[in-house]
Amino acid sequence: MSKRGFGETWRVWAVVCAIVLGTLVVTLRLVQLQIIDHDQYAEEARLTHYGQDTLTDRRGALLDRNGYPLAASEAAYNVMVERRAWTDVTKAAAAANELAIITGVPATEMLSIVTDTDVFEVPVARGLNYEQAAAVRELGLNGVRLLEGSRRVYPEGNLAAQLMGFVGQDNSGLSGLEIDLDSILGGSPGEVTYERDGLGNQLAFGERSEVPAQPGNNVVLSLDRYVQRIAEQELDRAIKDHKAEGGTVIVVKPETGEVLAMASRPTFDVTKQDLSDGSKQALYRNRAITDTYEPGSVFKLITMSAAIDLGLVTPGTWWYDEGVLHLNQWSIYNWDFSTNGSQTVQQILTKSLNTGAAWLASLCGPEGFYDYVHRFGFGVSSASGLSGEVDGRVRTPETDPDGWSAVDMATNSFGQGIAVTPLQMAMAVAAIANDGMLMKPQLVKEIVGPLGAQTVQPETVRQVMTPESARNLLDMMGVVADTTSTLYLDVPGYNVGGKSGTANIAEENGGYRPDAYISSYAGVAPLEDPQIAVLVKIDEPKDVPWGSAVAAPVFSTLANKVLAYLKVPPTDDILVAKVEN
Amino acid sequence: MAANGDHTTSAIPGVLGGSSLPVILIVAAVIVGVAALLPLVQTSIATTTGGSISRLEREREDWQARLHEQEVSVAQLGSLERVEREARDRLQMVTPDNVNYLRVDAPAPAPHRLPSRYLPAEPAQPDTGSSLWEDVFGWLPVP
Repeated sequence: MSKRGFGETWRVWAVVCAIVLGTLVVTLRLVQLQIIDHDQYAEEARLTHYGQDTLTDRRGALLDRNGYPLAASEAAYNVMVERRAWTDVTKAAAAANELAIITGVPATEMLSIVTDTDVFEVPVARGLNYEQAAAVRELGLNGVRLLEGSRRVYPEGNLAAQLMGFVGQDNSGLSGLEIDLDSILGGSPGEVTYERDGLGNQLAFGERSEVPAQPGNNVVLSLDRYVQRIAEQELDRAIKDHKAEGGTVIVVKPETGEVLAMASRPTFDVTKQDLSDGSKQALYRNRAITDTYEPGSVFKLITMSAAIDLGLVTPGTWWYDEGVLHLNQWSIYNWDFSTNGSQTVQQILTKSLNTGAAWLASLCGPEGFYDYVHRFGFGVSSASGLSGEVDGRVRTPETDPDGWSAVDMATNSFGQGIAVTPLQMAMAVAAIANDGMLMKPQLVKEIVGPLGAQTVQPETVRQVMTPESARNLLDMMGVVADTTSTLYLDVPGYNVGGKSGTANIAEENGGYRPDAYISSYAGVAPLEDPQIAVLVKIDEPKDVPWGSAVAAPVFSTLANKVLAYLKVPPTDDILVAKVEN
Repeated sequence: MAANGDHTTSAIPGVLGGSSLPVILIVAAVIVGVAALLPLVQTSIATTTGGSISRLEREREDWQARLHEQEVSVAQLGSLERVEREARDRLQMVTPDNVNYLRVDAPAPAPHRLPSRYLPAEPAQPDTGSSLWEDVFGWLPVP
């Protein structure tokens, strides 16, 4: 029996210790990997083994009342690159160069995007069309795949840009109807989770779960693209001719309250938005509902309606104009400082006498006058459904008992000291044209989805005045239109009515801006059976301020073109022939 | 022992005979081999089918994408701005100076209808054809 030496024993123990130590290190490492950092590695493994995509279906289209698309969607593709696939600099540069030729994105930019990211994959090019996507697919690059989405296109260009609004990169609405109808247009996104191979490709028999995306609904608007285009063309022409700052045109179908056109200037290019440019933010707002103005003499229609409907006057009632009306320390004059003597109520409207309007309001009294102001929808939002719509401002003895005075009502009677939106004014005029029935402005006619179509019915707000009173007002508006120079208002073959307005522009800190006016015209056509009610508002014309000279011609051209387009029969005296069938 | 052996041999005549055993073994081996290949073949077929499904789905999506592009193209070609430009520049049309009206004693044309591509999809018609089993049972003399 041999006895082991000390050196031999030491070597054995050294080996044993090394094995034990090695085992311990491995065990500890396993504990770290599988227990302590389990969640982290499990997540990494999941990201490696499983792919997840958000599925989006097509966003619904915005159509005009005849089905022409004003905003539609087409497929667009994002090029996604896996970070791991581009770790080899040479191969990555080669792949980026090939992609750059197709996408137009510089290769250096794509490489930079992939290098700087710490997520699994990242988009290096967005919004490719079908041909570009097919070309990328043909390349068959490892770690590069296409993610399908959609892109918003506006076939009619910038038509009704502020009303339509626009969407962001994620296809969600950011302004206008695109955001107001986002829940209807957007549908609902889906999600797919799948097992994939080392190259990122989906395994044919791997795990896969999918929640399909739901397509958005198409929305048929009340807008008519032809009427909208005419409105915008004539608005642009008036702004150019009179070197104005901007303006608004609204065309309403009185019977239903459907908005056929809503145009505002200045506007923006819907196909080239730059959200980072703060100076353009103001262009996005729909001024027909977000901005208020003092309507001026167009508001005499409201004063006149109140006095006639209360039975206080008739169009033939006489009144004596002394040229000035004294109220406390204030004096109210006519716009041309004229003194007209004996005048009928019709002449008050025809000559647009401020003193006459103030007299009519005093006959109604504050309670009666402001009751009609509210009945016509002023002072509250018209509930058009458009975001950003404001209420306007009407001071009454109830809302401002300390500040309100009789002179407020006098100035309100001819449209000063009161703030309304262009849409409120248009709807009020439409109510006169609709036998005194105020309608809710209607912008959506129909919602068409995969499951069917839902028709939106016109909604009445209230009977503002009797149909007889409304007919009286229409006839009076007809007389006003007849006495307007044909240089400004000429609609052959149709009887039209209207009222012009020229208003000062209020300063924010009180008072009025010198030599700055808003010219407006509210018109109805044809008088026998009104098919359109139009409000034209031109901001700060530089040559002449009068609504009859600046805004009435816009109504005149609009009425000429739109009545023919709507196939409204003209009066017999203009017919050149009758064709019997 | 010899009798038992004879009995066994005669109970399954020719089966376990000396000359037929290799054949049996070969047949068994072939059967086992084929059986072993079956899952592979099945997997291969399924993989091919899965690939075909993926390819067809992608083709369908491609066609849908192209269809949507064509729809947008149609809309852009029919835009008022383009129509006016074509009328003015290519067809040399001008805005009339005077408008003449004549009244035709005939009903007005029907209003525009929404293009069918924006209408809800027609509901799928139920399959009225009978199944194979229904046909088989139809031949049987049962009430």
